[in-house]
Amino acid sequence: MSSEHQQAIGNVNSFNAFTNYNIVNFNAEIDAEGRQILQWLSPLEPQQRHQGVQTNRLDGIGNWVLGTNEFRKWSVEEDGCVEPVLFCDGNPGVGKTYLRYEDC
Amino acid sequence: MIDTLCDQAKGKDIAVVGLYCDFLAQQEQTTTGMLGAILKQLAVGGGISEYIRQAFQEAKKEFGGRSLRLPELVEIMKKAVAPLPRVFICIDALDESTPKHRRAFLESLREIVRASVNTRIFFTGRPHVGDEIMKCFGRVIRIPVSPTRGDIRSYLEMRLGSDTDPDVMDDELRADIMRVIPEKVSEV
Repeated sequence: MSSEHQQAIGNVNSFNAFTNYNIVNFNAEIDAEGRQILQWLSPLEPQQRHQGVQTNRLDGIGNWVLGTNEFRKWSVEEDGCVEPVLFCDGNPGVGKTYLRYEDC
Repeated sequence: MIDTLCDQAKGKDIAVVGLYCDFLAQQEQTTTGMLGAILKQLAVGGGISEYIRQAFQEAKKEFGGRSLRLPELVEIMKKAVAPLPRVFICIDALDESTPKHRRAFLESLREIVRASVNTRIFFTGRPHVGDEIMKCFGRVIRIPVSPTRGDIRSYLEMRLGSDTDPDVMDDELRADIMRVIPEKVSEV
């Protein structure tokens, strides 16, 4: 493995599938077989929709949800101390897709 | 949500992956298609493991190169999440997935969560899918979402600010919009 390749792997170490997903790096890091494998795993490309959501989102909306104790506990608590499943329910159009919490 | 979790995850070995369900893509949103999309993100983030390559090579040998079968996919996903200290799987608009595939999808996620205590799942959806989630997972943390008046006001300000026909707007109309709509929406 080249040092360049190792560097690239180091960069995606945070495993941040959406925000690290960069089409340029993607092509450089993953070989031809790798690309075939990814296509074989699923035809769906959720990161494309995510970019649309990021563009249309209005900062601050829905912050209260992600500031709740329920969310905080669920996202940071140690394993086994909390229910693994969190469900935000709401009627169509209330903004479930656009929830974002900004640390202040 | 995904970006918030990603911000928390920076610099740590935490995976944040997600899926948007969509009425318009129901044909591709089969159980294996949805789970495969999650695995694909784990593979992009952490590199394609040898066991994934092997499964691919095996499948290619068969006539027409078959796709992954569900039990096989679930086993691979368990292996993929096992070494990670924390994995967040975010599924948006679960109600937009086809009911036919939803049950098997939820059951597969349950199997993954049970095998790995480090995996957390976040769903959004209309209230009716809550029962299906509860039935499958037993206990679930539930947060009902409705926009606050502040949210509605921010949204209205943004929309009024990007009005393509600002000449027809005056202060009085603007004040009325900002007063009446948040009140009405909050009553819903």
